[in-house]
Amino acid sequence: MLEIKNLHAKIAADGTEILKGITLTVPKGEVHAIMGPNGSGKSTLAYVLAGRSDYEVTDGDILWNGESILEMAPDERAAKGVFLAFQYPMEIPGVATMTFLRTSVNATRKKRGHKEMTTPEFLKFVRAKAAELGVKEEMLKRPLNVGFSGGEKKRMEVLQMALLEPTLCVLDETDSGLDIDAIRIVSEGTNALRGPDKAMLVITHYQRLLNYITPDKVHVLAHGRIQKTGGKELALELEKSGYAEFKGKAA
Amino acid sequence: MTIAVLKTKAETSLVQQFEANAAKLPGGATVLAARKAAFGAFVARGLPHRRIEEWKYTDLRGLLKDPISVAIHDDANVSLKDVDTALGPLASLAADRIVFVNGSYRAELSPIAKAKGLDVTALSAGWSRLLDPAAVAASGSALDDDAVVALNMAFVTDGATIRIAPNTELARPLLVVQLSVGREGKLASTRNLITVGAGAAVTIIEVFAAIGSAPAHANAVTDLVTGDRARVVHHKVSVTPSAAHLATSVVRLGAGTSYRAFQLTTASAVARNQVFLTFAGEHAKIDVSGLMLGRGRDHIDTTLLIDHAVPHCESRELFRTVLDDNARAVFQGKVIVRPNAQKTDGKQMANALMLSENAEFDSKPELEIYADDVVCGHGATCTELSADLLFYMRSRGIPIDQARAMLIESFAGEALDRVEDEAIRATFGEITSAWLAAAPKS
Repeated sequence: MLEIKNLHAKIAADGTEILKGITLTVPKGEVHAIMGPNGSGKSTLAYVLAGRSDYEVTDGDILWNGESILEMAPDERAAKGVFLAFQYPMEIPGVATMTFLRTSVNATRKKRGHKEMTTPEFLKFVRAKAAELGVKEEMLKRPLNVGFSGGEKKRMEVLQMALLEPTLCVLDETDSGLDIDAIRIVSEGTNALRGPDKAMLVITHYQRLLNYITPDKVHVLAHGRIQKTGGKELALELEKSGYAEFKGKAA
Repeated sequence: MTIAVLKTKAETSLVQQFEANAAKLPGGATVLAARKAAFGAFVARGLPHRRIEEWKYTDLRGLLKDPISVAIHDDANVSLKDVDTALGPLASLAADRIVFVNGSYRAELSPIAKAKGLDVTALSAGWSRLLDPAAVAASGSALDDDAVVALNMAFVTDGATIRIAPNTELARPLLVVQLSVGREGKLASTRNLITVGAGAAVTIIEVFAAIGSAPAHANAVTDLVTGDRARVVHHKVSVTPSAAHLATSVVRLGAGTSYRAFQLTTASAVARNQVFLTFAGEHAKIDVSGLMLGRGRDHIDTTLLIDHAVPHCESRELFRTVLDDNARAVFQGKVIVRPNAQKTDGKQMANALMLSENAEFDSKPELEIYADDVVCGHGATCTELSADLLFYMRSRGIPIDQARAMLIESFAGEALDRVEDEAIRATFGEITSAWLAAAPKS
């Protein structure tokens, strides 16, 4: 279970407060959506969950399975099962995708106390998952994300999510920049990862992704706080009324 | 009138040793006369210093303060196994070798398979070649002004003479190995003369290494002259610890020739790599690239002079630098396009990755273009490891040290990609990885 308690966070460089007391619980087996206008703090929340050092948590706590992850480095969080699918996946010229994936999987397995995969084992593993997600063999040979289209990058994120077998998945605007076909493929990949021991937080500006990934709950984030929580129908209401209701309401 | 006053201990020690040893140096009367003339030229200038434009960022006079002991003749006990150990990953290459220890040729360490059209001998077996203008690319060039080349001529003890007959294609690379041994850290002066006949193909790798952790000082000059349509790969690897490494290549290329050079420099207290290359015939293509790896107080300088003297030639240079601690690197890339050298295509890039706030990178591209129908460009960047990329990698479970190492290796790897031969590239990669792995943990 993910428990976010009264979370306050500011930008480390200039002290701007972005998150102003977020409280949120995502039980295992559930998918929660976070929606909100631009600048509401959605991506900041995603980064803070993953442990990005550009943000400083000034108050509150984040518990994953009852354990605070605030003091953990990003790679330790990954070992604990936290996975962030980036809104803008990074390109790493000079690092072959396959090398990156193997390093990532084996570093995580090692920390989790599992045996590292041999190269043939890993190849078999990655090829099977890649085929499911429509990631072409040719993409695996290129440097990570270099020259990939927006859709290919997002598919690569979902592939990494599948390979790392996380238990807490945070998807940051995974639908942005994707056409309908790409959204469908990415969503199917994500849905395949749903399970009774997994919690998911899907961050999105638009409702349409939630047509494919049906949430158990929807939270509206604005001005650094959860303003409203409801069922999946809340997303449809927002689609009609927009965020005007929340935009003016300063904290 | 300019008179350089000889005053440093290093310069004084060189004068004393030349006076004491000139007569003992090999080559006979004609070569001795050439040595004396060269030493006179050196004395007139002294070690290059920062007021000489080409040496502005590498003040050799300041960097080499201590007395220098010059290697004259050496018969230190060295085994084939010692050579393999010193060569490290390069020992695994299926290659011929000509080996010099502290500047002296060692036949018993130099296994060279007989190949038709290949003639490899030591310079000491025929000194007259040193004065043969057909074999000496440096003759009559701007290098008359170069004090390091003059110093090499004064003290040269040996070197490799390599002649490839026209239309000979050599499958095995040839390693020209300069080894240092002993605690004294003597300055070995060697001169390689390489002539590649028309249509011939060869891969030559100059390697500078040390047995044990001997301080290794080298002043090496290589002349390489090709006929038309030759294909030459000419790499240089320097992995000598705490050394003064001075290496000059003087290259003159025939028409339609392909010349690819990669220079890998690590672990040098002071290194100056000079490449003076002249396109003597049209439609030749070159790639001169390299990787400079420095930490501690290393100072590594690469200075290129690419002379497009004729039309229709293509030049590419990519130099990457990784600097940690207080290390400093210098890249000077001068490209001259002569008035008649139309249709010249030249591109140059220098990128430095700084791992420390105290490191310094000086980049000086110089394009002198006198022709009007050319495509020439250059670029330089100086960056640190991207915090965004590090976060991305860590979010995928990769620990910080491993993430840093991957990013540094990938940065270096893009330069290493210029090495076309897979086996050679792999050995250069291993040397690079070993250097990175030797970093003190942060």
